[in-house]
Amino acid sequence: MAPRRLVTVVDDDESVRRSLPNLLKQFGFAARVFSSATEFLASDAVAESSCLILDVRMPGMSGPDLQQELKRRRRAVPIIFITASPDDRVRQPLLKQGAVECLFKPFTETALCEALDAALETRRH
Amino acid sequence: MSSDSNVNAGVPLNTAIPVALASFDSIVRTEELRTRPRRPVEYEKETTALAALVKALADSPDTILQTLADKILEILRSDSAGISLLTKDEKRFYWAAVAGVWKPHLGGGTPRDFGPCGDVLDHNAPMLFRHFELRYPYFWAAIPPAVECLLVPFYLNGKAVGTVWAIAHDDRRQFDGEDLRVLESMGRFASAAYQAVESIEELRSEVTAREEAELELRELTGTLEAQVRARTEQLRLSEAFLAQAQHLSRTGSFSWRVATNEITWSKQLYRIYELDPSVPVTLELIRSRTHPDDLPSFYDAIDRTRTGAHHYEYERRLKMPDNSLKYIHVVAHGVLDKDGRLEYIGAVQDVTERRLSEQALDMARSELTRMARVTSIGAMTASIAHQVNQPLLGIVTNASTCLRMLAADPPNIEGAQETAQFLLSDGHRASAVIKHLRSLFSKSSTTMELLDLSEATQEVVTLSLNELQRNNVIVRTACDRDLPPVLGDRVQLQQVILNLLLNASEAMKGIEDRPRQVLIRTYLDEDENVRLTVQDAGVGLEPSEMEKLFETFYTTKSDGMGIGLSISRSIVERHSGRIWAAPNSRGPGATFSFAIPRAAEDAITAPGPGVLEPCTASATGFAENL
Repeated sequence: MAPRRLVTVVDDDESVRRSLPNLLKQFGFAARVFSSATEFLASDAVAESSCLILDVRMPGMSGPDLQQELKRRRRAVPIIFITASPDDRVRQPLLKQGAVECLFKPFTETALCEALDAALETRRH
Repeated sequence: MSSDSNVNAGVPLNTAIPVALASFDSIVRTEELRTRPRRPVEYEKETTALAALVKALADSPDTILQTLADKILEILRSDSAGISLLTKDEKRFYWAAVAGVWKPHLGGGTPRDFGPCGDVLDHNAPMLFRHFELRYPYFWAAIPPAVECLLVPFYLNGKAVGTVWAIAHDDRRQFDGEDLRVLESMGRFASAAYQAVESIEELRSEVTAREEAELELRELTGTLEAQVRARTEQLRLSEAFLAQAQHLSRTGSFSWRVATNEITWSKQLYRIYELDPSVPVTLELIRSRTHPDDLPSFYDAIDRTRTGAHHYEYERRLKMPDNSLKYIHVVAHGVLDKDGRLEYIGAVQDVTERRLSEQALDMARSELTRMARVTSIGAMTASIAHQVNQPLLGIVTNASTCLRMLAADPPNIEGAQETAQFLLSDGHRASAVIKHLRSLFSKSSTTMELLDLSEATQEVVTLSLNELQRNNVIVRTACDRDLPPVLGDRVQLQQVILNLLLNASEAMKGIEDRPRQVLIRTYLDEDENVRLTVQDAGVGLEPSEMEKLFETFYTTKSDGMGIGLSISRSIVERHSGRIWAAPNSRGPGATFSFAIPRAAEDAITAPGPGVLEPCTASATGFAENL
């Protein structure tokens, strides 16, 4: 059996960290969670993640900050942003910066599936 | 003309009144004015004189009475002319302005009850005297003697307070009916001029009120211009100077003989109405230029003018053929002529520029208010969304996971149960967020003080008046001035009042068939609570809505957030009060009310304002989550 691909969730919100990995596992992925960007950067998940689900607004290093940092480190991991503030003025720049998707919380599992498909499609190129 | 240094002393003011030498009747020649042949009318001269007076009034108001005396002398070709005014104690007349031969007597005077001026005031009518020194011996010292003296009373605020007079010192000049007409005309002018000077004197002392003085001067000048204007038109004479003055001040004038509907307009008024001066003016023509919304008031004014001579002042809009708007300020004065026919004489000023700049200012101001309101609501919406969306994602995700676990083969019951637990806790969390927000709105940084709700209401009304007027909302207030104080947070309660007021305005947005009227009342109700009611004439309320109105996120508006009333309720409840709504018992619309207890007696007598501990914990928690 091929190793399951790792989807990593970085979000400061506890209920997201508690619920999202379970659903990802139901989808057939391996899942890891981090409550902050720095915690994630310090881990081996940076190299192993096939996809990153990243909260936009976090204390300390924000989601977009982490996106820039990964670019700087030439880690081309596809990113799906998630945010609780539904604002297109935030979403558009993120997509321009290369994010696969930016989902507004609460999003449906269908929306998440489509975003993951798109992300992993990107990965294969 | 005498250069005798005793000449002033010859008109004693304080010496005992001497005995009359001749009878009153023997010196009066007023009746002869009717029978004497009238000299030809010199309209042009008269008009020029009136115009010069208007100019004098505007340029150097101090000299207005002297200018008037000079002009009377000139037009009547009399030997002396002047204006006598009653002193403050009303015991004598002093000569406020004298022109011609008797000019050295300037400042002199005559007793109130023994002299020609007094006679004129007693009879309240013009009079012609011949050799009045025969009856009033103190005039002997006034050289040369007054062979004929024509006097007319002049009035201040309806009261005769002096005379305007002209004197012939020999028999070459005899006054006639035309002289009387001119002098009376000048007399009326003197009244207006004197009032103007008085006002200017008063206003001059108030340096800070300079603008007001200018305005008053302009208005008075305008009134005088209108008088001059009416005169000239009546006389159908050259009016170059006046036309220019009217043009400069954008003021036109009119006269309207009510019975015959004969309307005369000045050129400037034609210009304001953008009509050809050759077109005869009719009420219909004026109506056609009147803004449709102002027609009711137009008809109303016409109806009222017919009931008698009134004074009117109003502002009205004109709609021009190119659909542009003009604002005019109209002052009209009704007079009855000798035959009792009603005539209106008035001035019309084009105040469009002034109104437009005022409106621009209003617009900017209310836009600012709206922006402030929208941004604060916008900011609130975003933070609430953020707060609520986090647990919602947990709920949705856990529900998906749960369903998938149950649908698996074999179903993962244990995992589903665990996930359902998470789901439940996220649900609790979402409701906790709402509770948290509620407490935030009602508790954060509350500063309680003793306050007068009527006063707080007036402030809100004043602040929001422009915004309300822009929506054509008429605000009426009936605030109890003796309302007992309440203990409350001024800003929060004012937010509630503002919210109710803006809601009322909003509810009347589409109303066209009745006045958009809001009535705000404050009073002590039967339960000894201080109550405020906001009654509108809007779309009203469904009985089913009553309960939900004050719930968070409930809204009847397409663009509403449903937050305003729920926050209002939180605030009122925080003040131990209650808030409710009811349809109006009579007529359309609804009434929103809140009542809060009057402050306890000991709170009123306490030295300082009571300050409740602010609930800062929730505010901090809220800010952290932003």
